[in-house]
Amino acid sequence: MSSIDELEDARQDLESLLLDVLNSTLGEEAFTTDESLPAGPLATSRLSIHDEAQDTYLGIEIRVGAVLARLLASKMMAAGDPSPDDLLDAVGELGNIVGGNVKTLLYHTARLSLPMADLNSRTGPGDPDDPSTTLRVAASVFGQTAQVVLTPGAPVDGLYWPPSQEDEALEKQP
Amino acid sequence: MKILVADDSRAMRMIVARTLRQAGFSGHEIIEAENGAEALELAREEEPDLILSDWNMPEMTGIDFLRSLHRSGIDIPFCFVTSEGSEEMREMAEESGALGLITKPFTAERFTEVLSTVVSL
Repeated sequence: MSSIDELEDARQDLESLLLDVLNSTLGEEAFTTDESLPAGPLATSRLSIHDEAQDTYLGIEIRVGAVLARLLASKMMAAGDPSPDDLLDAVGELGNIVGGNVKTLLYHTARLSLPMADLNSRTGPGDPDDPSTTLRVAASVFGQTAQVVLTPGAPVDGLYWPPSQEDEALEKQP
Repeated sequence: MKILVADDSRAMRMIVARTLRQAGFSGHEIIEAENGAEALELAREEEPDLILSDWNMPEMTGIDFLRSLHRSGIDIPFCFVTSEGSEEMREMAEESGALGLITKPFTAERFTEVLSTVVSL
């Protein structure tokens, strides 16, 4: 599962996945949308899936605006006034849930990175995503847009991979 | 009962604790760990009655945590609560003696279904 065409075939499933995750996490019905993200800084969660059979990577980025990030943290942590750390944690975990479900949907043998969250991302004015290299699905909840962007071959710099005992065994080899 | 919840996300640990209450499993002591290594230490010290653990965590993954418990001769009911639910992972969880694998996002009903045999209401 590494080409845009293959991802495009799974678009409906990916849209359903995003709706399910938002419905469950926020307790509010989400809808598929074409709306853009709001102006201003974005909260993002970035992960990657390593297809070990093909040795390819699929980048996953979840993007929400500041309002939805706060709503998310408030709901998840039952906190009226979530701190920046709460926002990072909540957005990161949203990415983790989406990433895990994407992995289950698209791969048999693969490894999921840990999420890397950022509260001050901005993808720049206009539409930053090239549809020939990325697949984007979006949903609206509480009138706010959330996007999931999948990019085959996206760089994995800065991402952290959970350790495995196999890694440890390799490290111990002379 | 004492229940150990292991997840690198504080938000998720809070959600798991809340969902336990929503599932009717109230009044239990919840202890928390941020990764498998910390959870292993806590499990040895605190001897919880049940462990609910994420799979993908820094320092030590959930499956390595479970295997380490068994290698130490510790046998505590163990259930994965994870965002990934592939057949391969379910098989690995079962082979390692886990009660089951609850995938995120989850419901209180799913907690009841999987945990009712080991958690008292």
